[in-house]
Amino acid sequence: MQTLENLNEILYSPFFGIVLTIFAYQAGISINRKAKHALANPILIAVLLIIAILLLFDIPLEAYQQGGSLIYLFLAPATAALAVPIYKNWQILRLNWKPIIAGTMAGSFSSIVIVFGLCKLFGLDRSLTASLLSKSVTSPIAAGITEQLGGIVPIAIAAVIFSGITGNILAPFLVKLFHVDDPVAQGIGIGTCSHAIGTTRAITMGELQGAMSGLAIGLSGLFTVLWAFLFSFLL
Amino acid sequence: MKILMQLAIILFICLLGEVIAAVLPFPFPASVISMLLVLALLLWGPLKIYHIQKQADFLLDNMGFFFVPPTVAILGYLGYMEGKVAIILFICLVTVFTTFAVTSWTVSAMMKYETRRKERSRYANSGESE
Repeated sequence: MQTLENLNEILYSPFFGIVLTIFAYQAGISINRKAKHALANPILIAVLLIIAILLLFDIPLEAYQQGGSLIYLFLAPATAALAVPIYKNWQILRLNWKPIIAGTMAGSFSSIVIVFGLCKLFGLDRSLTASLLSKSVTSPIAAGITEQLGGIVPIAIAAVIFSGITGNILAPFLVKLFHVDDPVAQGIGIGTCSHAIGTTRAITMGELQGAMSGLAIGLSGLFTVLWAFLFSFLL
Repeated sequence: MKILMQLAIILFICLLGEVIAAVLPFPFPASVISMLLVLALLLWGPLKIYHIQKQADFLLDNMGFFFVPPTVAILGYLGYMEGKVAIILFICLVTVFTTFAVTSWTVSAMMKYETRRKERSRYANSGESE
């Protein structure tokens, strides 16, 4: 009995959550490389693996979060690093700044307006609406916006990942469906609707599409912060 | 530059971002302020890309990893989301289509407008009529 209790204490060590997350994520990456399909998203696989392990061995979420919250600490530096792809594409941005800025502004605005309208239509409550408003932008920025609006960060991130995977799978289809021929317009569109996960698909469609999609992650994230601030008065 | 120093630079900028966020009269995510700070410092020159390149690549390459724990936390909200999962997924799916369409059409339309405007001014400058 004594040893069992000690084992329980060990689960509350931050190392447990960190090690489990790294192994689960690595497993996700290996599966993703073999499967080569957007549904085999490393984050999705890692999350499902960890949830399965926690439920199977009856490990409390709080025990896992001792280490998990330390990993989450990297939210801010990861967002700050998004400035690097913007900086690297600065020349293209400068040459086409009007279409690119207008596109990311309009796209992120439409996303928030439509999400807000649909949430109202389906009668979702305030905190659920606040969690979905930032669903089109990259997880670190979505988490920041959701915290600020008083939403539920885990739901926001799940919605972000789902949108990303959808955009990744549909990207070539969307381009045909909406007759978008220009590579800059394609890339900005993919990055604005499906952030980093969509960008991995945009890269396979062309170098320019990939670069533009990467650029759109930071820009649409930035504009979504502004729109979300306006919408916070309507919540 | 040593990876530890690169990490220190990025974390220091994040700290500055939090200071600015605390001073601002309106709510704005500190992480996004840090992103703008990094961009501004790179463009104005005091920060060189090699000062942070390795650390930034590490963060960008492993971005997904940092979001595994907060997503696992959804376990605590399964009851709360009961009966609403289909609605949430529907909203996400619809806005992938609409956001892509609005964004790429706006970019395409603006590019056509810009090209036409430039051509017009070229004609005007060379004294030819359209």
